[in-house]
Amino acid sequence: MSRPNRPGGPLAALASTALFVLAVAGCGSGGSSTSTIPLKAGESPIGQQLTGKHRGGTLTVYEHEDFEHFDPGEAYGGQDYTVLYAIERPLYSYPPNTANKLVPDVAATAPVISDGGKTLTVTIRPHIYFSPPVNREVNSGDVAYAIERGANPNVANPYFHSYFNDVVGAEKANGGLIAGIETPSRYTIVFHLTKPTAALLYGALSLPLSAPVPPEFAKPLDAHSPTTYGTEYLVATGPYMLKADSRGKFLGIGYQPGKSATLVRNPTWNPHTDYRPAYLDRIDINIGGEPTVIGQQVLKGQNVVQNDSPAQSIVKEAYERYPQQITFTSGSGDYYASLNNAHGPFTNIDLRKAVWAALDREAIAKVRGGPLVAQPMTHFLYPGVAGYEQAGGAAGPKVDYNEHPEGDMAVATKYMKLAGYSSGKYTGGKTLQVVGSTGEPAEGMAQIVNQTLQNLGFKTHLSLVDQSVMYDKYCTVPAQEIDVCPNGGWVRDFADPQTVLYVPFYGPAIEAQGNSNWSQVNDPAINAAMRKAELVVGEPARAEAWAKIDEMLVAQAVAAPEVYVNQANIEGSGVAGVNQLWNSGAWDYDFTSLK
Amino acid sequence: MTRYIVRRLLWGVALLFIVSALTFVLFDLLPSGDPAKLRAGRTATPQAIAHIRHELGLDQPIYTQFFDYMKGVVLHFDLGYSFYSHASVKGLIAERLPATVSLAAGAIVIWLLVGLSVGIVSAVRRRTLLDRTAMGTALVFISAPEYWLGLLALFLFASDIGKLAVFPGAGSYVAFSSEPVKWFTALILPWLVLAASFAAVYARLLRGSLIEVLGEDYIRTARAKGLTERRVVMRHGVRGAITPIVTVLGLDIGTLLGGALLIEVVFNIPGVGRLNYDAINHADFPIVQGTVLLAALFIVVANLLVDISYAFLDPRVRFK
Repeated sequence: MSRPNRPGGPLAALASTALFVLAVAGCGSGGSSTSTIPLKAGESPIGQQLTGKHRGGTLTVYEHEDFEHFDPGEAYGGQDYTVLYAIERPLYSYPPNTANKLVPDVAATAPVISDGGKTLTVTIRPHIYFSPPVNREVNSGDVAYAIERGANPNVANPYFHSYFNDVVGAEKANGGLIAGIETPSRYTIVFHLTKPTAALLYGALSLPLSAPVPPEFAKPLDAHSPTTYGTEYLVATGPYMLKADSRGKFLGIGYQPGKSATLVRNPTWNPHTDYRPAYLDRIDINIGGEPTVIGQQVLKGQNVVQNDSPAQSIVKEAYERYPQQITFTSGSGDYYASLNNAHGPFTNIDLRKAVWAALDREAIAKVRGGPLVAQPMTHFLYPGVAGYEQAGGAAGPKVDYNEHPEGDMAVATKYMKLAGYSSGKYTGGKTLQVVGSTGEPAEGMAQIVNQTLQNLGFKTHLSLVDQSVMYDKYCTVPAQEIDVCPNGGWVRDFADPQTVLYVPFYGPAIEAQGNSNWSQVNDPAINAAMRKAELVVGEPARAEAWAKIDEMLVAQAVAAPEVYVNQANIEGSGVAGVNQLWNSGAWDYDFTSLK
Repeated sequence: MTRYIVRRLLWGVALLFIVSALTFVLFDLLPSGDPAKLRAGRTATPQAIAHIRHELGLDQPIYTQFFDYMKGVVLHFDLGYSFYSHASVKGLIAERLPATVSLAAGAIVIWLLVGLSVGIVSAVRRRTLLDRTAMGTALVFISAPEYWLGLLALFLFASDIGKLAVFPGAGSYVAFSSEPVKWFTALILPWLVLAASFAAVYARLLRGSLIEVLGEDYIRTARAKGLTERRVVMRHGVRGAITPIVTVLGLDIGTLLGGALLIEVVFNIPGVGRLNYDAINHADFPIVQGTVLLAALFIVVANLLVDISYAFLDPRVRFK
């Protein structure tokens, strides 16, 4: 359901790839920006002006990391989303300044949920057109095709099976028609589900996969492996499009891999069908460069923003010297150290609680850049996610191992003794395998966790490897029996607490490879509670249900929490930037304007 | 001579083959990200990952992958497609090469002009204040990390972020064909920074070599014949002292054309070095393989040219 958080800073960011996720640099989002740090004026995105702004002009965007996908069927990262939500329109979307309020986009109204939550009907808005060369009106078949192609192995949408599997026939779909998706009229699409999970599907229809794709244009491209839709050719439904030739080819025209991307106005976009103002005429994106240089160029520049996370030194400088040119959005995900619940010493719950108690989360927050961008984590639903407050808010659940974010060796010793180690130190003889990621701040975080383990008497073998290696060879492969992965994290996909807790902690979701449940949590009571909670309808009820699960995860100390992260964004002095809050907290180019 | 060149070229081809094979093996042996997983995403099903692995040919034995790759290279000059952007590797390299060549060519001109001049002056005026100052400065440039020097140059002289707004800053590179003047001005800082350490090395190298040559008997003879000192130094001294410089130059040119990674990153120049760097980070093997092959090719060719040039620079050299 959502994506693991990328632990690295700018350099680690370079090391990531597509679905490796996003990072503080671009993900996550949050909610209501309920950060507890003292923000100066201009830092909180909540009060950003959305309407009546200057129209026209060219915005220059810098980012040191390249995009991963422009295909709405493939994209799965906050950085890609910044462009995708400017060029494509899903059925539903989140306006800026809100993390939780879904509004109809290509859809005309909120969906009708019937059949006890097993049927979801969406009416499509008329007069929405595809950009050239397609130039025709969008219909329900285009939405159906967009979702069906997600199961095409040539597209291989990364979250299709997480969110669309309950659609009848989706589980075994491979790109062809899905029986559970019907288009009874030109403007109506109906989803039939095997389980009453329409509430979750509604949220998932805010993801790029539901953005219409014209079959007559994309099908021949989808026959290639991998598809060339979104890598060479693309049509848009949003206010902007990647600059392209008359055939819709943008590769080499509106996008030079590793160099630049150019967004221009979509000539067929109909503003009367859209809530986005789309103030800018053009967006020029420069890809690559040294993070501190980019940061300086933005802070000293005019009509320019940085699309990905600024370097730590730049955040500090911006906060101190250019406070009106930086924003912080809380709720951009979290980081925690996974503790292997299935093998080794951490099958013992008291040892897990001891690590939680001993870990200095404030030190980890400092390593990540300080209170502007990180706060000690106290439970697994993070700020801005529905259920966060119900599960304890910033202070978190009132259990003794959670009370002192600076680390409490007395409480840790108590749990070591409860675990059977009368001296308060581990004497089991097992050397823990700890695998972290290279590059700061990931290395610093890993070192703190490693030192904490050693303080508790564990012998450790710490391996710091490239982030991709950490993911692919170790932390996502249960057979490796890694005891601790200190650089794990999570970011929600949309405003539903299930997207934060389900994949990383649901036992049956454990995979032999590519496993996202790093701690290998497989608690029957938690699993049962999740199965029950996914059927709950209505935001308050869902928040309550998942908050209870959060409490269960804390009670089991399934992992050692580290930090909640904020997204920092910087802009030039001539930009009136607006941040989206639902996902990554990054710039929303549909509402950003020049001054 | 022709036989020599043909023999060297054949060795070059063999070397390229070995380099390709080694790159393949290293990429296979060393822990790196799984391209299929990278492409499929973190929550992809094992089936989706397996399908992508099959489509990319990664489920084949390594020797089969290597054979297919070499067949493509030899028969069609096809370097494959990026795992990451799906773009043609040949196309990407062709698109990036002009930036790297521009960067390298300008820097080479500067460091040869500066390095050789300083080296000659220092050798002729050795142990003077001028010599000591020049060699001391050279040592500073040799010691200064290129990356740091680049950042320093930008923070001092770049028009957008520098204290003294003199030269265009990072990211201002444009192709020569589109705006020649902007191309030139955008490259001035990168050229200077890239040339700095090379010029320093060449100056010290030539100084040492020239001092040695100027002590040779034939130099004394030249002076005894009444030639001007300028002619003695430039015509007889430098010609004899230049051989080690040419040797190093061949290697440097070859290496640089494979990408001046740090400078390209600092100044945001979309060259081959940055392409390779990004590819390594993305476990994008086809691009890594393509850029490594390109770098090896340049080194082979540059060394061949250097060896041939020996015959013209030094009459004692004959090819067998």
